[in-house]
Amino acid sequence: MKTPGAAEQQQLDSLLYPAANQRHDEVYTPEGKVRPYWQYLLDSLETLGQSEMAQRQLKTQRILRDDGATYSSFEGPAKSNIWELDPVPMLLDSEEWSGIEAGLIERAELLDLVLKDLYGERTLIRRGILPPELLFDHKGFIRACHDVFMPGEQQLIFHSADMIRTQDGSICVLTDRTQMPKGVGYALENRTVLSRVFPSLFRDSQVHRLALFYQALRQKLNELVPYAPDGRPRVVVMTPGTFNQSYFEHTYLANYLGYPLVQGGDLTVRGGRVWMKSVGGLHPVDVIVRFVNDSFCDPVELRSDSHLGVPGLLEVVRSGGVVVVNPLGSGVLENPALQCYLPKISEFFLGRPLQLASVNSYWCGDKKDLEFVQANFDAMVLKAVNPTHDNQSVFVAELSKEERANWLARILAEPQKWVAQDLLEPSQCPTLVKGDLQPRRVILRSFAVASEQSFNVMPGCLARIAPDKRSRRVVQGQGSLSKDTWVLASEPEKQFSLQATARGKQLARTDVPANLPSRAVENLFWLGRYAERAETSARLLRTVFLQLNSTLQLPKDARHLMLTAVTDVTNTLPGFRGPDAAKLFDAPEPELLSVILDSSRPGSLRYDLHAMLTCAEEVKEQLSADAQRIVNDIRDELSYLDSSLAGGLGSAPEEALDPLVTALLAMAGQAHESMFRGIGWRFLEMGRRLEKAHQSASLIRALLVSCYEGRSQDLLLETLLLSTEALISYRRRYLAQLDIGDGLKLMLMDLSNPRSMLFLMQELTEHLNSLVSDLSLSGLAAEQKQLLSATTALQLVDIDALELADEEGIERAALDAFLESLQEKLRHTADLISDRYFDHTAGPQQLVQTAWENDA
Amino acid sequence: MKYQIRHVTRYDYASPVSQCYNRAHLLPRDTDTQTCLHTRVRIAPLPATAQQRVDYFGNSTYHFALEDPHTSLTIDVESEIEVLERPKFNAFDLDLGVTCAEARNLIRRGRTEEILLAKEYLLDSPMVRCSEELAEYARALFVDDRPLLSAARELTSKIFNEFTYDPEFTTVATPIGEVMEHKRGVCQDFAHLAIGCLRSLGYPARYVSGYLETLPPPGQEKLVGSDASHAWFALFSPTEGWFEFDPTNDNMPTEQHITTAWGRDYSDVTPLRGVIFDGGKTQKLHVAVDVTRIPE
Repeated sequence: MKTPGAAEQQQLDSLLYPAANQRHDEVYTPEGKVRPYWQYLLDSLETLGQSEMAQRQLKTQRILRDDGATYSSFEGPAKSNIWELDPVPMLLDSEEWSGIEAGLIERAELLDLVLKDLYGERTLIRRGILPPELLFDHKGFIRACHDVFMPGEQQLIFHSADMIRTQDGSICVLTDRTQMPKGVGYALENRTVLSRVFPSLFRDSQVHRLALFYQALRQKLNELVPYAPDGRPRVVVMTPGTFNQSYFEHTYLANYLGYPLVQGGDLTVRGGRVWMKSVGGLHPVDVIVRFVNDSFCDPVELRSDSHLGVPGLLEVVRSGGVVVVNPLGSGVLENPALQCYLPKISEFFLGRPLQLASVNSYWCGDKKDLEFVQANFDAMVLKAVNPTHDNQSVFVAELSKEERANWLARILAEPQKWVAQDLLEPSQCPTLVKGDLQPRRVILRSFAVASEQSFNVMPGCLARIAPDKRSRRVVQGQGSLSKDTWVLASEPEKQFSLQATARGKQLARTDVPANLPSRAVENLFWLGRYAERAETSARLLRTVFLQLNSTLQLPKDARHLMLTAVTDVTNTLPGFRGPDAAKLFDAPEPELLSVILDSSRPGSLRYDLHAMLTCAEEVKEQLSADAQRIVNDIRDELSYLDSSLAGGLGSAPEEALDPLVTALLAMAGQAHESMFRGIGWRFLEMGRRLEKAHQSASLIRALLVSCYEGRSQDLLLETLLLSTEALISYRRRYLAQLDIGDGLKLMLMDLSNPRSMLFLMQELTEHLNSLVSDLSLSGLAAEQKQLLSATTALQLVDIDALELADEEGIERAALDAFLESLQEKLRHTADLISDRYFDHTAGPQQLVQTAWENDA
Repeated sequence: MKYQIRHVTRYDYASPVSQCYNRAHLLPRDTDTQTCLHTRVRIAPLPATAQQRVDYFGNSTYHFALEDPHTSLTIDVESEIEVLERPKFNAFDLDLGVTCAEARNLIRRGRTEEILLAKEYLLDSPMVRCSEELAEYARALFVDDRPLLSAARELTSKIFNEFTYDPEFTTVATPIGEVMEHKRGVCQDFAHLAIGCLRSLGYPARYVSGYLETLPPPGQEKLVGSDASHAWFALFSPTEGWFEFDPTNDNMPTEQHITTAWGRDYSDVTPLRGVIFDGGKTQKLHVAVDVTRIPE
């Protein structure tokens, strides 16, 4: 017998998983025995113990955060909802899986036949197998896609199914997903993360690898266009953009497969083909992997209010100029009423019942079905044939008596618009909750890709689990907890990863650097500009706080000028230049805090950083893991600012800004040290250089144009040098006391100072030159000329003359005018760069307003 | 009878349009009673791509794109149509067919291909929603033992008599409810109204767009560009097929009706739909149609 102490000790560090009661349990047999293929995992988790598991859970979360793995809609740059992954995988044994796999393949093949029939002969309607209303009243049936087929036999390229294990232990399909392989990127991320969190457990469990599936996917995409030059079609991944809840997945998948990520606006139709707008001009596109709903893909023929698509796309598809996968119109297969007729359809096309059945479904438009639904109403789940955003499945069992009556009346009023399904009890599997293993209901999503007359199924699934013990709804509107699914092989497999080969091939392709959409390049340019703008503001604010909090009383004139400099440099007028300036000078704190925290105020630190984060989100796929980590840090630091500045001026606010400045520097350093020297990098750097030069000029104008005597003058020069990290170098070099002329030389001309204007402009020149030679123009381009004129003016200027005050001795007017003209030239250069390289097409509009078809 | 039809559509934009992508339903289709002998489409400025196709409903469509800046767009379609003489129906003929009750029953239970496919035209479509109000408007005419076609003919007259033709009142997107309320509209509204009534009562109906030859008042020259596009509806009888009715003119189409296209409603056969880039906020549209008889 164990001593009480030991038992207690064991209890404390043990992961108990209770045996199941009424539901099927993935781990336990009805007799309460652990199924053999779970034993190894359970033992390993038990060995790790509660505290170690908690650590692994934290590690899981940290990796997901670092990867920028978000889910649920982008709610603005300051927020990010991290994808949730349970560290305990779902397990399936190899033998059972081969049965499921065969069933999924058969299902996908059948749906491919249905798709071809519905957009072709419509035999299923003509022969009375499918009720006509069911097809003709479904919003997924797009008449404009009639008779539009891609080359080759197979039309359905991706198929996914949501499945559960029912009470009797069999697998049953709830829904088929045929618009896009939603979740296929998250499944990959889950696997990548879990294999890092449990390297040895993963290795020893002999898990089927996913990489071969992604290789098959890539191969299928490559085969879709037989005529592609050198046999490699140009594939892009099309995303609705950063506001889509699965945006992370689109960036992740595009990167993993090595295809450019585009939005509708990045593509254009010219001469009967689709092209990607990139910095180097238009690049042809052969295949579009869409993550945009089909009805939103072309405002000319489909939903006219869509801004996510490419005008004219469908006609190009029709004429064979581009292949879209899944094909436009494939949403017709997601009709829940189709599930009711799949058995008959299977008999019709295949001559046998489906191996992998759907949940029993009843279309209320059918008299007999409706009678059955009425008789068994409490045990039904209701689904609309044409679901809208706000109608999810209705579980009748969860409704009150009155609600049930209302729902029944609603269905009887328009029966053909409703489908009912048997309410099934999904199986449960162990999930780590607050250190314990607890049972949660689980749904599995499979992924299959067409390949050589059949389908290739991913050996594994994206598992999603209910948020709590009682919840029936596994998939909530706002995302849910996920699991990796391990299909356990009976013997070890060869290791293989697509990422390595994809990278190898990528580098061999000469057109890769130019293969960025203009939008991505523009966002990188602005990412650089906003980062620099934020850094200048943060540094200046930090220095001003330091000076204001100095133990020595500041002379009033210097104090006022420092505060107006904040307004000038951040361009947050009126601020300390406004009519209330006198009052603000006495109590500057609220205004200074507003310049930092007020996100609605253009020019504030938070505003700039939000803009920067928005740009970063737009080019997420261009950011390395390290860069993504830094972006996350900046987002976090930004959210801490409110609390760290709550103490006001008394609590060393300059220190609150330090971590932000450090993170911004880390970002600059990361780009400089690690970023691939492609076109994206050049634009990021150009944005930085342009902005930094511009900000340097602003700082000098704000702090050195007004003339002061003695200590005030010194303080202002000191503030300038301090905020540009030049004070120490200055002191080392000039030893003696502060001198305006020396300061100006350091800030303007000194090529050993990486923040001097001349240094920045020379670097900018280098970037521009390299770009223009890419374009192979003869002579200097307009923006080069503009920059050359600025650089020359700077080199020719007489610094000693700039130092002089005007006749009244109030201002250095010459300095001000000179810097203003430099800024003007820089601004003009930026405009010219924008004109040449970025996309300026206005958004599309309807030729004739046709609002009627857009109400869903 | 042969006709020459010229349909010119011109857009003028406030500022240059950089690109435009369009789909037109301006080319007359073939039907049982007409053959399109020849069509010529001229677009100015010249389009980058242009392709004639057949759509889901069997209509001729024309897809074209302009990819260079332009400030106006002209689509000039000239077609030569041979129209066969349609059977003339008198009240007696219309009384011979299937009764309303039989028709409804056949449509509900019928398993023939024709009936199954016609069910598409029984459902709500983008611009026509069934309603009790529409059913109520026509119910009294479609009594069980009355021949379906005769009832439909009376509905045509009822709309003609009770509604005022008023081109000022409606736009292409006026909801049927408003047309019902004010008892005003144009051919398109009357067609939608009739389709809505028929579907609400359980009879498949579709929208037909086309032209109507107009004759000048006796002794006067016909004015150029004075004709217009026209619209009417067709009803499906489960035993006799599709029959057309024109509620704007209180008749059943004759040789003077030339069909362009048909669909569930106007939205399926919009003469021109497309997307432009740039071009400013406003645009001017000018349409001229001429239907001319070609002497035999």
